[in-house]
Amino acid sequence: MRNSLPIAALSEFVNEVTVTPEEAIMDYGVVLDWESGTRSRAETKPMRVGPHRVSRSFTWKADEPRQLMGNNHGPNPQELLLSGLGACMMVAFVAGASAEGIQLESLRIDMEATLDLRGFLGIGSNAPVGFPEIRYQIHVTADATPEQLAALHAKAVAHSPNAQTVLSPVALRGEIVSTRSDV
Amino acid sequence: MTDTKIRGDASSHGPHLTSGGWLNNLDRKRAAGPFLPGQGLPAAGPSSTAVHAGTHDDLLTGAVGTPIYQASTFLLGADQYGAIEQGFARDRFIYSRYGNPSQWAVQEKLAALEGAESAIVFSSGMAAITATVLALVDKGAHVVASADLYGGTYNLFNQEFPTFGMSATLVDPQDFAAIEAAIRPETQLMYFEAITNPLLKIIDIPRLADIARRHGLRLVIDGTFAPPIAMRALEQGADVVVHSASKYLNGHSDLIAGVAAGPRKLVDMIWPRLLNYGGSLDPHACFLLERGLKTLAIRMRAHEESAHALAQYLERHPRVTRVFYPLLDSHPDRAVARRLLKNGTGNVTFFVEGGDAAALALVNALRIPKQATSLGGVESLVSLPFNTSQASFTLRQRAAIGIHPGCVRLSVGIEDAADLIADFDQALARIHPAKEAENA
Repeated sequence: MRNSLPIAALSEFVNEVTVTPEEAIMDYGVVLDWESGTRSRAETKPMRVGPHRVSRSFTWKADEPRQLMGNNHGPNPQELLLSGLGACMMVAFVAGASAEGIQLESLRIDMEATLDLRGFLGIGSNAPVGFPEIRYQIHVTADATPEQLAALHAKAVAHSPNAQTVLSPVALRGEIVSTRSDV
Repeated sequence: MTDTKIRGDASSHGPHLTSGGWLNNLDRKRAAGPFLPGQGLPAAGPSSTAVHAGTHDDLLTGAVGTPIYQASTFLLGADQYGAIEQGFARDRFIYSRYGNPSQWAVQEKLAALEGAESAIVFSSGMAAITATVLALVDKGAHVVASADLYGGTYNLFNQEFPTFGMSATLVDPQDFAAIEAAIRPETQLMYFEAITNPLLKIIDIPRLADIARRHGLRLVIDGTFAPPIAMRALEQGADVVVHSASKYLNGHSDLIAGVAAGPRKLVDMIWPRLLNYGGSLDPHACFLLERGLKTLAIRMRAHEESAHALAQYLERHPRVTRVFYPLLDSHPDRAVARRLLKNGTGNVTFFVEGGDAAALALVNALRIPKQATSLGGVESLVSLPFNTSQASFTLRQRAAIGIHPGCVRLSVGIEDAADLIADFDQALARIHPAKEAENA
């Protein structure tokens, strides 16, 4: 299979969703439990692929470096954000390449971003709280021209859910469920 | 010279590549199959389907019937290489573990009989069950299954599942509240048998399908005791139906095989498990199974005729305390059977006076039914749960699932009912000579 991706099955899924849009609805969830200090444990919830449930059962940790009062026991939330963004763009890039018949030899996305923590700390400045920009390079070896790969890059970003979530305003609808601990 | 010949399903092609477009331009759609080319059968009744569906006369010689393609591998050309590259190798002949014309022929016949888009044959019923279950679950998954399962399937859930980090809850297949209560967030699959063994409970598949649909689960039904002439599990709401084809489907007690049938989408998910686990069916066994299937409809009618008559005879016999046969008015699930079964089968379970010793004496005294495990063959087979299928249970454990002493498991073949009745008459008389004398 080209790029180990079954393009025939992807095509069948595309055409199934065209007729049955509910098959395209994916429900995701993760639960985060505070463990200690800056360290938390994340666990996937069962997801839904169309109308059907899929067991996930994956866990990972997030932490901050010691310099930021953590214990450096896991990637920090910003690194997890970058990996979620990069992995999503990679899926889009590989799917698009496979659909065009491009054979990939290697593919690497190198991502960086700079944060000014004055925003987090509440120290008066013009610094935004979040990343003002995310920089990345896609290193690719493939049987395609630079122009083809540039076009593929643009299409991958345009169709990557995580890239589009980062690029567009997204509503955060949260609530707090509180329990008063015994004094 | 480049060989571009299509060896496989000629209606299947890879998607056109999307030069300049995006994934929405991919144009390959899912279709029923894979099927051998030509000789398509118009809609037909079950007997015509059993005889003709999937059976392909040899185009080269005109030989009637599907030839036996006793080959492990196939000539390769550009078309097959393209199918591998694009991920539709299931639709081409490459290597017999992936697919073989003898497999395709019998798969097409089985799919037609089940009303399925696609089917895969396996080297045993358990190979079909294992590949199907493991295709439909993921890491950490949970399954809700029947507490009355066939022993091999029970072992899959009890012995193999924990090793994979998966779990199963076994529930009374007729307690719908308990089935629903057993569903967890990580549940992906419900697994039940259409008719249970040995007490022949008729499971209300449409109700199970309703529960599965409401919870976003897949429903797999083992239809071994209810082959397609008696019931089409997919029409009752199952997502996939599996069988031990060694039983009614083949019908001659001369091969071991299995099958999974359902929508192409799901059977295509099962196919990679066939490749990975390796339970493929040999071409010669495919020929035997295809040949056996041709008489499925007529055999099922004969099974019903003899089994129903024998069950009625046994029910009247003073030394028989209880008879379970789904077409008897005394059967606890008679109403469900009336709704779901289009034809009876050969399985009759009954209890004799005198407990397991009397039951053993009875089967030793019978001349026609052979004392052997299995079912669904043209010859009657008889066995006792206490020393075969439920031998590892204690007396009390057997009683808890309704297998009381004196339980006889009978698979009525297609012999004449009068001969079977005469045989049971002499055998029952021999095991109770004293009581017969008292009554004389």
